[in-house]
Amino acid sequence: MKSIIMMGTENELRTLFDKFKGKATIIGPKIPNGEIAIRYCELNDYSEIPREVEDDQEPGKYKLMQGKFFRHGFDSPKKYMFPSTLKIIRVEKELEVKPYNYDPKETVFFAIKPCDAAAIKIMDKTFTWNKDAYYNAQRGKITIIVENCIKPGKTCFCATMGTGPRATENFDIAYTKINGKVLFEAGSIKGEKILMEIEVLKPASNEVIIEFIKVMDEAYEKAKAPFTTINLPEKLEINIANENLWKELSEKCLGCGNCTMVCPTCFCFDIYDESHLDEHVDRVRYWDSCFTYRYAEVARGHFRPEIWAMYRQWILHKFSYWKKQFNILGCVGCGRCITWCPAGIDLRENVKKASIGV
Amino acid sequence: MKIAIFKFASCSGCQLELLNLEEELLEIAGKVEIAYFVEASRKLMKGPYDISLVEGSVSTPEQLEELHKIREESKYLIAIGSCATAGGIQALRNWAQLEEYKKIVYLNPEWIKTLEKSTPLSEHVKVDFEIRGCPINRKQLLWVLSQIIVGREPFLPTHSLCIQCKIKGYTCVLVTRGEPCLGPVVMAGCGALCPSFQRPCYACYGPSDLPQTIKLAQQFTEKGLSKKDISLLFKKCESWTPKFKEVVEKYE
Repeated sequence: MKSIIMMGTENELRTLFDKFKGKATIIGPKIPNGEIAIRYCELNDYSEIPREVEDDQEPGKYKLMQGKFFRHGFDSPKKYMFPSTLKIIRVEKELEVKPYNYDPKETVFFAIKPCDAAAIKIMDKTFTWNKDAYYNAQRGKITIIVENCIKPGKTCFCATMGTGPRATENFDIAYTKINGKVLFEAGSIKGEKILMEIEVLKPASNEVIIEFIKVMDEAYEKAKAPFTTINLPEKLEINIANENLWKELSEKCLGCGNCTMVCPTCFCFDIYDESHLDEHVDRVRYWDSCFTYRYAEVARGHFRPEIWAMYRQWILHKFSYWKKQFNILGCVGCGRCITWCPAGIDLRENVKKASIGV
Repeated sequence: MKIAIFKFASCSGCQLELLNLEEELLEIAGKVEIAYFVEASRKLMKGPYDISLVEGSVSTPEQLEELHKIREESKYLIAIGSCATAGGIQALRNWAQLEEYKKIVYLNPEWIKTLEKSTPLSEHVKVDFEIRGCPINRKQLLWVLSQIIVGREPFLPTHSLCIQCKIKGYTCVLVTRGEPCLGPVVMAGCGALCPSFQRPCYACYGPSDLPQTIKLAQQFTEKGLSKKDISLLFKKCESWTPKFKEVVEKYE
């Protein structure tokens, strides 16, 4: 939707936050006591959002330090949209089946980054396609307030994936902090209505908009990967049978599954029937990963036992199969899989290598 | 259904986890007959047993003989804890010369009758199921027993600890602090106990189903750990498992 860029200060950002207080669960960035990473948590007050802190991210490394702008930690809105552990049904000894009640609350994602808003759009495709009742129950009750990313991190590549550093879709309100000012724009009718209620906001002057464009353009240049998405599915699939290539790319891969766990769009789950002594069973859904051995285990065999083949599946799923199935790539360029990989494998380098061959 | 609990070379910590179940233990006792549990009752019934939980590694000739007898008398033999499933901390002696070791430890080494190596049960008999850990996680024990009691084949996850950490939402100590955490190659099941206290995993659950131990060791080398440090990391209670052995042999 077309919207006017409005200008205010941090006071208006606080006003915006307070509008949701008491009406919805507000989820946003926070550094809980004793934590050494930014986490998405329930926020009670605007002041809980970290200040004067920056996350230094590199392949396999994450460190909090003094600074002006932070990106994100390892968790994403996924954990609220698609909980890592979810009790689904209870089966009594007499085989009576009782579904567990799932009643998600009205939720506001506040100060999430454009990559995370884009990830919700991708999850929408997968979870709508498979008619996931749990996801969709939550989906109908969310508001997305995005903070545009004026300083992408060293593992970010949202510009390449077309998801940032400025949010362009799938948000209600986006804001940008620039030199003491805060610029607001609406991304939905709902967002527009909320902004209209904050009377102090005025349309930004051309000078301010020029400043905004400059900051966002600079950020864009910092969030590029060494590949483009043009014809990417074909470029990758042409190498599908090049076993040596995939072996080389996955040479350091530990098969630990961290990349899939921290990915804001990875949606795989497994279902366990947990027996209890009183002979009732709980059917529980847990996050699963294509990097576990049992994932591709089937009756009488295994169709993908080697790590290089798992790695190939993961890359091709994100950058090719997803496009074919949902007409969208499965990666938002948040860089979490690079930062949180214990072996520091750089996905950007590997996609580049895989798309031109070695 | 008759359950028996046996102990070989071990510290009794895993049996203690069974006792620590307290209320649930009473519930188990209501479902099945606890037929042999030296640590809990003087009433000891003879076999055969439906389920035998065996703690400890095979370390002496008597234990080996007893293990075969237990196997014959048990429908379901479950090895519990890292001693029974991997040889335990005492398997460190497998890396040394037995006679020299004996001399260091005992005043009269000639009185000691022991096997050359401390080994897991599975090296000697067919083991139907294993519950890992030092000690085991009593919730896992309860889950396995509950599954058998209702007539299911027992099942536990075998993936990496990293997945459990992420499911629970614990911040990675390896990535944030550079701690040499073994989680990427270790089987989940403990509930990510050490990382929940921001401490690195030291692998008491042993290798996962896809353990890239040599690759992880290379990562540690790149992080600046010495060969000795790396071999010591892998040389704890799981040193005798093949994938950990590989690292110890290469780095020692």
